[in-house]
Amino acid sequence: MKPAIRALGIATTTIWILLIVFSATAVYSVMNLGIDFGEAQFFPSSEGVVLSLPFFINNSGYYDISELNVTTHIEDSNGTLLTVSNTFVPLVSKGSNVEAAHNISIELGDATEYIELIFNDSFFVSDTFVALNFARIVPVQMSMNITVPWGAPFYNVSVGEIFDLPFNITHVRVVVPVSFENHSFLDITGTMQLEIYNDVNELVTSEKTSLDVRSQSTYNEQVDTYLSLADVSKLTESGNVHFIFEIPMFTTELWMPYG
Amino acid sequence: MVEEGKRKGLMNKLIPRVLKAALWGTFTYVFVYYLPRLIYPMDLFPLKYNQFFYLFVGIAVFFAVVVKFFSGTIFEHAFSIARALILIIYFIAVFNGGVISLTMPMEGTTVNLLVDLKAFLAILILMSLLEIGKSMFQLTNFLVKRAESSQRSMH
Repeated sequence: MKPAIRALGIATTTIWILLIVFSATAVYSVMNLGIDFGEAQFFPSSEGVVLSLPFFINNSGYYDISELNVTTHIEDSNGTLLTVSNTFVPLVSKGSNVEAAHNISIELGDATEYIELIFNDSFFVSDTFVALNFARIVPVQMSMNITVPWGAPFYNVSVGEIFDLPFNITHVRVVVPVSFENHSFLDITGTMQLEIYNDVNELVTSEKTSLDVRSQSTYNEQVDTYLSLADVSKLTESGNVHFIFEIPMFTTELWMPYG
Repeated sequence: MVEEGKRKGLMNKLIPRVLKAALWGTFTYVFVYYLPRLIYPMDLFPLKYNQFFYLFVGIAVFFAVVVKFFSGTIFEHAFSIARALILIIYFIAVFNGGVISLTMPMEGTTVNLLVDLKAFLAILILMSLLEIGKSMFQLTNFLVKRAESSQRSMH
């Protein structure tokens, strides 16, 4: 019986020592884990926008971090899922540094789905889920919920009082005061086409103008359109202005009454 | 005169046991409380886990003292088994069945952390079961030896 007792004693002592060493080094490794986040940046893409969240991991501990998986779900203020993004880092070896970026792509190609976001300020709800394997035996999961404010690129589009001025012997100049605020993080570069419809919904005149509106700035311009003298009577005191905004990320339209 | 001799004998037996138990208790206290606190500041951990740590220190020191005090008796093995059983319950409670869940406020948001320590918990429980097995062997050995010595004294 004595050899069995001795064997069990040696086994338990050895495993206890290994467990204590593992626990101590694991806590030390976690305490020496350097995680840093870079500045979030938005980039325009061919299909919409990309939010890039750079992160940096300095694993100066004793154990590898494997299967690091970052998943982000972004929903609009109504709870509609806008995008799901995933970043996978297979291994952060002990004593190594890893620099990566979690890219969240929001497609704005079909602008009709995001019409509210184009003309109204809102907020996004971002659910971030991080999973990793510490020392290959301890799975860790982390989740967080962040509300991100969203600024509309064409906020508060409004049309002022339309008036006409003589231009030459055949035409008059129709002046359309247009204003909106670019609340978004992106500069708007593209075109704005406006069509003036009278009170019987007949197209009176149209014009296309270029747009270059800096982020967080106001567009307040008078757009000139030209109308032949014969058609001046078509311009009524009230009607609708049809805007077609075309920027590299999307094309959208808006109807606005005037008068 | 005889009673005084008996008391003296008892004191002679008790004093070394008490000293040994106190020494062992101090050694355990230093090893499980003082050294870890020296290496890792306890305020890093949530309050709940600090309290669990103090409970662990209490269990470790108490059983170290009583096991040493009753060494060479049947109670030594009984307390060893009790310690292993209590540690199994303690580990299951501390590790919340193997999954630790923490909620931490961080820069205006709430971060939920989930650590899966099932493998670690399984090893700890296995260790405690091995301790119980060892104590059972020691208890059997102790009883066999006592039976043998009583038989010898009868002959």
